Amino acid sequence: MKFISLVLRSLFRNTRRTVLTVLSLAVSVFLIALLQSLLGTMDSLTTSTASGTRFVVQDKASFTNTIPLAYSNFIRQQPEVEAFTAFQWFGGEYKDPKNFFANFAVDPETYLQVYREEANLASIPPVQVKDFLRDGNGCIVGRTLADKFGWKVGDVVPLKSPIFNLTLRLNIRIIFTGKRNSDEMFLAFHIKQLQEAVPWMKGRAGAFTVRARNPIDIPRLCERIDSHFANSAQETLSITENAFNLNMMKMLGDYSTMVHSISAAVLVAILIVTANTMAMAIRERTTQISTMRALGFRSGQILSLLMAEGLLLSLLGSGLGIFMAMAAASAAAKVGGEILPWMADFIITPETLFLCMLLTLGLGLLSTFVPAYRASRRPITEGLRSL
Amino acid sequence: MTEPSVRLRNLAKSYWRGTLEIPVLTGIDLEIPKGGYYALMGPSGSGKTTLLNLIAGIDRPSGGELEVCGYALNDLDDDELAGWRSRNVGFIFQNYNLVPVLNAYENVELPLLLGDLSRAERRRRVLRALALVNLTDRMHNYPRQLSGGQEQRVAIARAIVHDPELIVADEPTGALDAKNAEEALILLEHLNQELGKTIVLVTHDPKAASHARFQIHLEKGVLDRTVEVHDRPVLPRIILEAP
Repeated sequence: MKFISLVLRSLFRNTRRTVLTVLSLAVSVFLIALLQSLLGTMDSLTTSTASGTRFVVQDKASFTNTIPLAYSNFIRQQPEVEAFTAFQWFGGEYKDPKNFFANFAVDPETYLQVYREEANLASIPPVQVKDFLRDGNGCIVGRTLADKFGWKVGDVVPLKSPIFNLTLRLNIRIIFTGKRNSDEMFLAFHIKQLQEAVPWMKGRAGAFTVRARNPIDIPRLCERIDSHFANSAQETLSITENAFNLNMMKMLGDYSTMVHSISAAVLVAILIVTANTMAMAIRERTTQISTMRALGFRSGQILSLLMAEGLLLSLLGSGLGIFMAMAAASAAAKVGGEILPWMADFIITPETLFLCMLLTLGLGLLSTFVPAYRASRRPITEGLRSL
Repeated sequence: MTEPSVRLRNLAKSYWRGTLEIPVLTGIDLEIPKGGYYALMGPSGSGKTTLLNLIAGIDRPSGGELEVCGYALNDLDDDELAGWRSRNVGFIFQNYNLVPVLNAYENVELPLLLGDLSRAERRRRVLRALALVNLTDRMHNYPRQLSGGQEQRVAIARAIVHDPELIVADEPTGALDAKNAEEALILLEHLNQELGKTIVLVTHDPKAASHARFQIHLEKGVLDRTVEVHDRPVLPRIILEAP
């Protein structure tokens, strides 16, 4: 503790250089924290507990194609199936194209069974459930979405879909509070509405979500369903809901490799910058360090003081970077969540914070150790000569 | 006979340039008594700074015996040697070598941070050392806010704050004007005469050397002659107390 003042003053002896290095570090940590958290949020979509018991049956060629509703007859007969529901992406906009959010046409009764955790069915008043099931124009809306547009139960919501060239007027019957913000950025209505208004949707759906009684049955069920429809006019592809979500994400490309590569590149770049700064900061103090050693400071003490300086520099950069990342994540969750529901869950996770702290610690140690070690071992007489 | 503070026996120092050995000091035999004031003189390259560095324990000899302040320095490892320096040696450099980010008070306090003195005791010693060099009113100034003479006085305060037996000074007046150089030399002489510090000084300047009691002349790495100084300047009267 006696030396903390010396460490701090030495760190800020060249204020401009230190501030610039802290800022470079902060920007790097900001990027890494943001990218890794984004990755974590996207991955969390594929690791939901409820998702573990569900799988999706879709067209083999593409999930943008529809499949016959009649396929449900075979699915229903499977003893391992607890429930299933048909759904279709509607892509509707509310009043303005920028008011875009996730909205699906679903089979209302089975939807509430299959997605009972996400819709938090137990907390919905039974009268609202009854109203939703009875009203062909009824819809169910997540709390976050309702709050965003100021909707309440009983309101009429016009929804225009450019995909189907169709505008529906939906009555809000349920506003549910989900477990995650992303679950609440969602609207679902009766698929019959779509099937009646769009001739080519008659007897068809985008896909089925099937809920198995036991997760261990899923691989067998998937194989059985796909084998059954093999060589038919429209073959199916059955995949776990997690994998389905992952496929949606993969439309963005191999984001995981991309994010890791960018993080690694940022890390290497900032390691070089910090190492250079520390090397310069230590080199220009050669005489001072040798003087301190002449006065009686041991090599180990000098090494510790310089390492403390490097670590402090890294921690300052890291702290600022994490603060910036948390602010940005909060803003991104608010703004991005309105367009991409999963973005509503975007936070800097404790794991990412820990990773950033660990990386920063490593960065500080790595970038400082070599110049600090050399300075602490350099012959004193040599250092005193280098004015 | 006064106990020697510095005892050198057949001391040698060489540097290596690749496979080529360059001898700098050869066969140095020297005894400096406790409370002695010696000036090392000689032309550039004669080995006077190397000899000072060996006496101060910041360099290792290539051969011979080196006993300073009661310790055989050859037997000490690097950490022990650092500890020995922190207790027994005060350093004064030509360019003062103050830490620029610390103020005068903190620079003087630096050697005391290596011990286990309380904060209050450190403060007491620093203030006395600063009073001794007449810089109490400048203790919050940083080196850049001090003149060359004041910086050297801070360096002298730093050299004595831990009450070492030996003070080594490498060209302490080399960067000072005549007036400040004279003040620094008078201060050193008082430290020698009133506090009994052993002082070994390297200088080119005959006037600076005239303050020492003995002048040791080196020539091409060997001791040429030792001369006692008889006509030393008369000191103005000041009374010093050890920090």
